[in-house]
Amino acid sequence: MNKKIFIALPLILVFCGSAPSQTGVKKKRPLPYEYGRVIIDNYSDKANLAPVVFEHWIHRSMFTCRVCHVDVGFAMKAGATGITAADNARGYYCGTCHNGKNVVDGKTVFQACSRKVNLEDEKRCVRCHSYGQKVASDFDFFKFSQPLPKERFGNGLDWEKSEELGLIKPASFLEGVSSSKGNAFVVQKDFALNPKVEGMPDIIFSHKKHTVWNGCELCHPDIFMGVKRGTVKYSMVDIS
Amino acid sequence: MFNAKFKATIVTVLLFIGLVGLCSVRAMGGPQSSAAQAEPAKETWQKEFDDVCSKTQDAMTFSQKELTDLIRRCDALQPQIEKLDESRKKVYMGRLRKCRGLYVYVLDAKRNEKK
Repeated sequence: MNKKIFIALPLILVFCGSAPSQTGVKKKRPLPYEYGRVIIDNYSDKANLAPVVFEHWIHRSMFTCRVCHVDVGFAMKAGATGITAADNARGYYCGTCHNGKNVVDGKTVFQACSRKVNLEDEKRCVRCHSYGQKVASDFDFFKFSQPLPKERFGNGLDWEKSEELGLIKPASFLEGVSSSKGNAFVVQKDFALNPKVEGMPDIIFSHKKHTVWNGCELCHPDIFMGVKRGTVKYSMVDIS
Repeated sequence: MFNAKFKATIVTVLLFIGLVGLCSVRAMGGPQSSAAQAEPAKETWQKEFDDVCSKTQDAMTFSQKELTDLIRRCDALQPQIEKLDESRKKVYMGRLRKCRGLYVYVLDAKRNEKK
């Protein structure tokens, strides 16, 4: 009898312990400086390089969404762009700005990738190919975020207010790359969406807020494809 | 004296022939460097791309006829972009797809409004 209990008890404990992890998997909420970070590992492994760690917040503070996701051509989904070193070396994707020529705040922006690599270049490679490695960054999130108004989600920063206050000045045009100058022309009004959950207030969608940074083609039709409001349903799971 | 005059006439005639020859070769579209030939072709599609896709922010203000015309111009650009090198093709095909997609989306929305 005692022997049976000794065998059954650990089995019950193992089962009970593993059950929650199989059913309710809670996604770890990224820390403010991690939010938007992308680990790019399409071809790095084949080149015996560590995957690229892309810090979204640094670039977010300098450019509107449209510049990178429409004009430069980065996909909205991590890993979907299929960036190659050759693309960068030819002056596309990362190489659009990281070309060893652009000067930002008095500093020359380092070149992303080059066709021939020497020993000196290897130090440059690890600036991006830094996953799992200790690489010192020129940018400090805490120092950067200190004067900016705070928010609850994302990077924990109110980016919109930051721009209104003139604390950040994201560029909306890249010479020789962007097709159109200036911000989006707002013709669509804000609207409200009724959530399915009872007691939940309406979702107010502001076209004004979104078009200023995104333009129109970043969202339509790739993300929001329905032409008639409310015909395409989005769940919280889709969003997360 | 005679010799100097003769030499000057020959030089003038040769210069004239050279100039005429040069002009006729250019007019016929004769030999040029490959870079000079490639440059205008590149600029033509790029200018057309910039012109077509710089209007996306005003898409809602266009009539159905104007939107249809923009979509047609996007379609005409596609085979030209497909001929580009791998990197440019990847970037500009993506941009063209987004730009065309928006015009189609707005056109559909306008048609839907009328129903």
